[in-house]
Amino acid sequence: MGKTSIEKLFSRLAGHGVKAGDFIWAAPDLVYVHDVLGPMMLSSYKKLGNPKINYTGKVIFVYDHIFPPKDSASANNIRNMLGFASGNNIESIPMGEGIEHTLLIERGAIEPGMFVVGSDSHTVTAGANGAFGAGLGSTDLACLLASGTTWFMVPETMVINMTGNLPRFSTGKDVILNIISKIGVDGANYMSMEFHPSSDTRLQLDDRLAIANMTVEAGAKTCILPPDRRTDAYDSIIWDEDAVYRSSLDLNMSEIRPSVAVPYSPGNVKDVRDVAGTKVDQVYLGNCSNGTFSDLQQAAEVFRKNPVHEGVTAIIVPATRKIYARALDAGLIKTFIDAGCTVSPPTCGACAGLHMGVLARDEVCISNTNRNFRGRMGDPGSMVYLANSYVAAAAAVEGKIVDPTEVF
Amino acid sequence: MPKAFVFGDDIDTDVIAPGGYLHLSIDQVKMHSMEAIFPDFPKMVEKGDILVAGKNFGSGSSREQAPVVLMELGISLVVAKGFARLFFRNAVNVGLSIGTIIGSTDIAQGDLVSYDVAGGEIRNVSKGTVTRFSPPQGALNDILNEGGIVPYTLKKLGRSK
Ligand code: SF4
Repeated sequence: MGKTSIEKLFSRLAGHGVKAGDFIWAAPDLVYVHDVLGPMMLSSYKKLGNPKINYTGKVIFVYDHIFPPKDSASANNIRNMLGFASGNNIESIPMGEGIEHTLLIERGAIEPGMFVVGSDSHTVTAGANGAFGAGLGSTDLACLLASGTTWFMVPETMVINMTGNLPRFSTGKDVILNIISKIGVDGANYMSMEFHPSSDTRLQLDDRLAIANMTVEAGAKTCILPPDRRTDAYDSIIWDEDAVYRSSLDLNMSEIRPSVAVPYSPGNVKDVRDVAGTKVDQVYLGNCSNGTFSDLQQAAEVFRKNPVHEGVTAIIVPATRKIYARALDAGLIKTFIDAGCTVSPPTCGACAGLHMGVLARDEVCISNTNRNFRGRMGDPGSMVYLANSYVAAAAAVEGKIVDPTEVF
Repeated sequence: MPKAFVFGDDIDTDVIAPGGYLHLSIDQVKMHSMEAIFPDFPKMVEKGDILVAGKNFGSGSSREQAPVVLMELGISLVVAKGFARLFFRNAVNVGLSIGTIIGSTDIAQGDLVSYDVAGGEIRNVSKGTVTRFSPPQGALNDILNEGGIVPYTLKKLGRSK
């Protein structure tokens, strides 16, 4: 009987053949931790008696969630993590380099065929580069560092067969929003999502980042999409033709329209036409799913000819310093500033209501981020609509949600 | 006598432990638990109370603060029709009792309850009925039996508490 990708991956880690439903104790290839959930990991590590680190893979600390620090509590969190890192031979990525999930792929730390775990649920983003990623809680991570392994149940797999290509103004964001609307916010609970694009389906990395990132919004434990560059490690986890899947979904990309997830669930997905006219106070572009160079290009296409609507706050956050620099070289930052946008340094910022654009009561925001839960970006009475970068930028110039295929 | 707090489907971790407070201490975070949907929750919970929810409880973030604030407020058992994977795993790790409801339940907000975690049973004292739930399985059950993943790991490392 053939194996799915995740069964092959976990067989490699376990050192013997495993199948969906098996429990394994194993060491991931990489562990990464950020500045908001890291401090809790350090306090759990203390409860373990601060033992020597037994985990033999790579550990990376990233300071991205509240960077630059907004208050002394967030500044102290970073200080404490830096202290732990230097005392335990852990790599700290220089502060300000960017948002971890996008950044570690950009830096080559997450390579095809790897298995990575992180302190963050969006560690699933690794799937964009042909790697498996899964989030873990802080205490789980502390115990993994102390003992060397952690446990996993080998998940069942949902396969998504993709054909055709995306129309203009539709992006990876719309692909994943459509999938979530079809299967529901717990439709892939505990599962691995394995994406099989047909040979003529083109999905560039930036689209794959958006897709992989939000698989967790359907409850997925992990996911994988074919990378641009195949490695031996990736070849060793390619699914067998006779692999056994729990379920499958067929997706014709050419039918995917710009979509919007309305409050308060990423599963409340509507065609952009059906929410056209909704007034917005803020537009927020950028996070670990859609702070990419392509997203900035898409936004710039809209802002090049149109200024931000009066009364709307438009905030743009390149996901990494490199993306920021590229956007600067390409003139995009100038376009944003001329149009009346506020450009932020790379940070998680208001994506999780942390800083740099937190919403007031009754404020409506349209954003290319990944969650629109109640209170996600600030006041419990605020509202967040999720959409691709064209749709979000178009709303910034019109002051209300519009269908970019009709207006531009 | 313990009472039940009842919540619906898809209660996410931003509602349970809002992001804007996560960089602060647990004592501060817990006072904001559920504030988006039930602002009086932190003040009303008393030690030993239970939480009953619908499907996909704890969806969203990996933040362990979500089960921790419930526990710190005094919630002693969380049962739901279904859980998001990270919340379930984190709850067991930190030693919060948790179970998946079998069949249906008639427990309503404020009902008085008594419960037997090991037996997987909640008695609705207000109504005289019983709700059953199944406890964690596999590796999680082993961890739960040691009282959470910290004592479990200490034992594995050959150190006891
Ligand atoms: S950008 Fe948002 S979703 Fe991504 S890691 Fe940061 S807070 Fe989480």
